[in-house]
Amino acid sequence: MGVVRKRSKVALVFRYVLVGIILFWALFMIYWGVVTSLKPPAETFTVTGLSVPFVQFRPTLENWRTELSVRESRMALLNSVVVAIFATLIAMALGVPAGYALARFKFRRIRNRDLTIWYLSQRVLPPVVVVIPFFLIMRTLRLLDTRLALILVNATFTLPFAVVITRQAFQELPVELEEAAAVDGCSEFTAFWKIALPLAAPTIVAVVAICVAFTWNEFLFALSLTSLRAKTFPVYLAGAEDTRGVQFWFMATRAILALGLPVVLAVAIQKYIVRGLTFGAVKG
Amino acid sequence: MKRKRIKYFFLFPSIFWVLAFTIFPLVYSLGLTLFRVRLGKPARFVGLANFARILSDYKMWNSLRITLVYVAVTVTLQVILGLLIALLFHQEIKGKSLFRALLILPIFCTPVAVGYLGLTVFYEEGGPINSILMSFFGTKIPWLSNPFWAWVAILLLDIWQWTPFCFLVILAGLQSLPEEIYDAAYLDSSSEWEIFRKITFPMVQPVIVIVLLLRLIESFKIFDVVYSLTGGGPGTSTEVYSLFTYRTGLKFFDFGYASVLGYLLLAMVSVAVNIFFRRIREVYG
Repeated sequence: MGVVRKRSKVALVFRYVLVGIILFWALFMIYWGVVTSLKPPAETFTVTGLSVPFVQFRPTLENWRTELSVRESRMALLNSVVVAIFATLIAMALGVPAGYALARFKFRRIRNRDLTIWYLSQRVLPPVVVVIPFFLIMRTLRLLDTRLALILVNATFTLPFAVVITRQAFQELPVELEEAAAVDGCSEFTAFWKIALPLAAPTIVAVVAICVAFTWNEFLFALSLTSLRAKTFPVYLAGAEDTRGVQFWFMATRAILALGLPVVLAVAIQKYIVRGLTFGAVKG
Repeated sequence: MKRKRIKYFFLFPSIFWVLAFTIFPLVYSLGLTLFRVRLGKPARFVGLANFARILSDYKMWNSLRITLVYVAVTVTLQVILGLLIALLFHQEIKGKSLFRALLILPIFCTPVAVGYLGLTVFYEEGGPINSILMSFFGTKIPWLSNPFWAWVAILLLDIWQWTPFCFLVILAGLQSLPEEIYDAAYLDSSSEWEIFRKITFPMVQPVIVIVLLLRLIESFKIFDVVYSLTGGGPGTSTEVYSLFTYRTGLKFFDFGYASVLGYLLLAMVSVAVNIFFRRIREVYG
């Protein structure tokens, strides 16, 4: 705020105390997961209080080593990576040109705004509505328990991000550059590929990160369409608990392993999160 | 701009994709609603019988009630808390950008993983929350064995994950407000509360509406956290609508009825979203 007002010391201290409490609340679960994954199993619930590593117990990477040596675990990680990469590639290949078309050309029969909202409505659709037809269709196509099925589904559900967010990015680019290129005899496609696309690169990187994170986190379809070979990491995480009672140390290790990548992506693109997750409705 | 053929080349692949992978499954599902379909048996046409089943299905009404209450409570709390924290952060705070970056972390966390982290945090015999309660108050909460507390646990996880999102967006809205207005207001020496009520809130309200809409849409989808934290239990006390539909379709393979359930959910979400439709059109105009 522009105006500096006089405040009592008490109010100022109170402000920082509040910020501290909020940060503690927001980070506690992640902290607890990390700490639990570093404890020797026998000490999972014997160390009291905040369980500060090095102070209250001696951290070990044993749980991580064991977890990563499980073949099924590595397989699930690989599946998650492959599905996220290819689903994102498809979503971008389809979505970025569509976003460009909606930003630069005028559509008459169905207007640009209505087309944009049509793409957006995909995000309104609760996944559980189409999970049954997808299951039956994939069964007919013999695609159950394949990565391909998950790639197709996730590309579909992340497409709105690619279309709507890049549309806004292209709208904000000055059109003059592309017009000048057209005067120089550049084709429409070259103007898109050589001029608009590089200028929109930061937004496109952010959209890629969002698509990867959403695909990585997706659970319902992965649970419904895979059973063995194509299991993604979240499904593996959900299936691992019953084997020998609840083993909190492994559960925490897997949970942190699962959320590590999307959390890193979130930090990397934090400037674009507001814009991205509100589909450009709010500019961050 | 000139009319260009190339625009269709840009747009059509994605339109065909949506037609193939969203519209077609939806139509397919609509067809399923009229049949009694079971694995291994031929589908039998039953007309509207699947729709009639809704009326007498107390389990459906149970999950619907849980979900509606859940959506109302969680969205309200997230938006109010998000607004309050945004107002706090809109003041002068040293290290603000670092704190803000830390607060973002929950948003992208894998929801299933959040559920399992919740399982360790809410663990009744010696989990961190109960052991703190034990040492301070000499009591513990039956987080996952009591229907009410299980519900509270899910609520807490969802609030944990999504309040930061509400906070972040509302803060962006607050920071885009012109400062001059405040200068004038302070000269008038209005009280803080009055400035909030008469200036800040009305101006940031469009942003709050967007946040409300987005959270409303997402909350109806709730599945992952419930699946991993309580599995719908104890009993069916936290079996939210998506979980009930999923089980009807893919555990009991009652595809026709599950499709009816799906369409009912879609209808409810559409009604909820339609309230905001004018606002949506303004944004993308």
